[in-house]
Amino acid sequence: MARKTYFDVTRLPGFSTIAVIVFVMLYAPILMLVIYSFNAGSSVAIWDGFSWRWYVTAWQNEQVKEVTLRSLMLAASAATISTALATMAALATTRKRAFRGQTAIYVAINQPLMVPEIVTAVALLILFAAVKVATGYQGMGYLILAHTAFCIPFAYLPIRARLEGMDMALEAAAADLYASPWQGFRHVTLPLLMPGIAAGMMLAFVTSLDDVVISLFVKSAGQDTLPTYLLAQLRRQVSPEINAISSVLLLLTLVLLTTFFLLTRKKD
Amino acid sequence: MKHSLTAIAVLLASTSFAMAEGELQLFNWGDYTSPELLKKFKDETGITVTVTDYDSNDASLAKIEAGGHGFDLVVPSANYVQIFVEKGLVSELDLSRLPDHGNIAPEWMDVPYDPGRKYSVPWQWGSTGIGVNTKVYSGDINTSALFMDPPPELEGKINVTPEMNDVLSLAIMYEGGEPCTEDTEVLRKVRDTLVAAKPKWQSMDYGMTEKMSANDVSASVYWNGAMFRVRLQNPDVKFGYPQEGYPLWMDQVMLLNDARNVDQAYTFLNFILQPENAALISAYARYANGIAGSEAFMPEDMKDAPEIKIPEEYRAAGRFLPTCSPKAQEYYTAIWTELQK
Repeated sequence: MARKTYFDVTRLPGFSTIAVIVFVMLYAPILMLVIYSFNAGSSVAIWDGFSWRWYVTAWQNEQVKEVTLRSLMLAASAATISTALATMAALATTRKRAFRGQTAIYVAINQPLMVPEIVTAVALLILFAAVKVATGYQGMGYLILAHTAFCIPFAYLPIRARLEGMDMALEAAAADLYASPWQGFRHVTLPLLMPGIAAGMMLAFVTSLDDVVISLFVKSAGQDTLPTYLLAQLRRQVSPEINAISSVLLLLTLVLLTTFFLLTRKKD
Repeated sequence: MKHSLTAIAVLLASTSFAMAEGELQLFNWGDYTSPELLKKFKDETGITVTVTDYDSNDASLAKIEAGGHGFDLVVPSANYVQIFVEKGLVSELDLSRLPDHGNIAPEWMDVPYDPGRKYSVPWQWGSTGIGVNTKVYSGDINTSALFMDPPPELEGKINVTPEMNDVLSLAIMYEGGEPCTEDTEVLRKVRDTLVAAKPKWQSMDYGMTEKMSANDVSASVYWNGAMFRVRLQNPDVKFGYPQEGYPLWMDQVMLLNDARNVDQAYTFLNFILQPENAALISAYARYANGIAGSEAFMPEDMKDAPEIKIPEEYRAAGRFLPTCSPKAQEYYTAIWTELQK
């Protein structure tokens, strides 16, 4: 009988029990939320039979439509801009020999992951309020700018991971075959990088779509996003309409994340 | 040439017409503004109202204080009205532009935080009392003794909402004091009674609309509008107004100093001063509104609801909660912390 000589975490006592508890805690509440979105009654705790009623209600709610469209528009803009910036940042920090200050640049790029969101939000509120008063412009630009900023690391990390796994010799080979730097990038680097870019963009999109705190502080008049709208609905009474909207949001997120995993899956 | 001049004239005319209609930015609590009200307003005046939500007085105050927000009207609670006025964030209303100002019910006209309603127009109001399932407990429900000294029938079946100001005000008035009191003797009694009563409570939680409808909880210190909705689902539940004193709350609309659409704002304020329109506000969020005569336009199930229209004999015990002094606030927090242990 072969005896294992290395440490195996799955053999620790209680490992599977803890794992099961963790998974139940993670998924049971979400499952309940989805189940009650199909409730025929108007309660989120008493089951009254199956119905699509709340999905219809949400669909017919003009305000829900408006805030959903705004959220999607915002997420698409922020994801596009932040992915473009993150791609450039990732190329600049990986396609060359390690240089002094590289770690400092990583930290600077990933700042939104480390600074508490509420700190960023309050800082943006104060700064943007001053800009809004000075310029008189109160459009969506502020939200797009703020979302782009905190989406950058989410787009950056998968792109960098992809680049780090790519052999620098490929570009050297292209250059040896008389490709100009631009041709080498266009026909070698970029196609190889595409899955990373797509994954980064989706992650950035989902991150922007889910954001509450920064949106809450930055939004001007008439700029509720889906999450800030949902939050404000909770003051009075939770109706299954909230469950229905949340379930659709969840489905959208799941589709995007599944695509992300398929794109980043290692091909053996 | 003549054609293009006519075209320009028409264009100018239509632009100025559009200006007269215009838009209005309302900053209000979430799920609180009736879409029907906004539709009727647009049909009658041509003004499009955009609602942006907030979920706490502090959040709205912070955004408005920062400036550059773009809102015209805001709807703070009673204890925030003075704060908005003192910070100079709102304008005194020009009452000559509100011909229906007199529709405000007499009891809501001279409120302590805005005597004569010079700064605010009522939106909705309600009260904190005790909802009781009368099948479980058949005694008098109009007393704070229900949670300060729970009767045997309600032991382990009563919930207390985790709202410090509401609960401590009820408790202080029960012990014969005034809300925000600094009288340590009263406060000591309040603390001792609450701490002694707590083991007999089932929970300190929200979400009672569901739990009391389903009979999971038999009584709760809670808000009138929620208990009204519970009764529609569970007719045994009645709402009690503690005779020792109970808190009243009110949210009202105020005109911001830096409003851009002032004319439209006045049009809107006067619109909601009319009983048939105020009734739409109530029909949506299910609270009373403070405009005399609006009951007649409310939905059938609200007209005579004892949770919405406080019965005459309990009216006098209702109190607006003042903003407590820092010292009283400190006492409140200390008692509350001890209660949470």
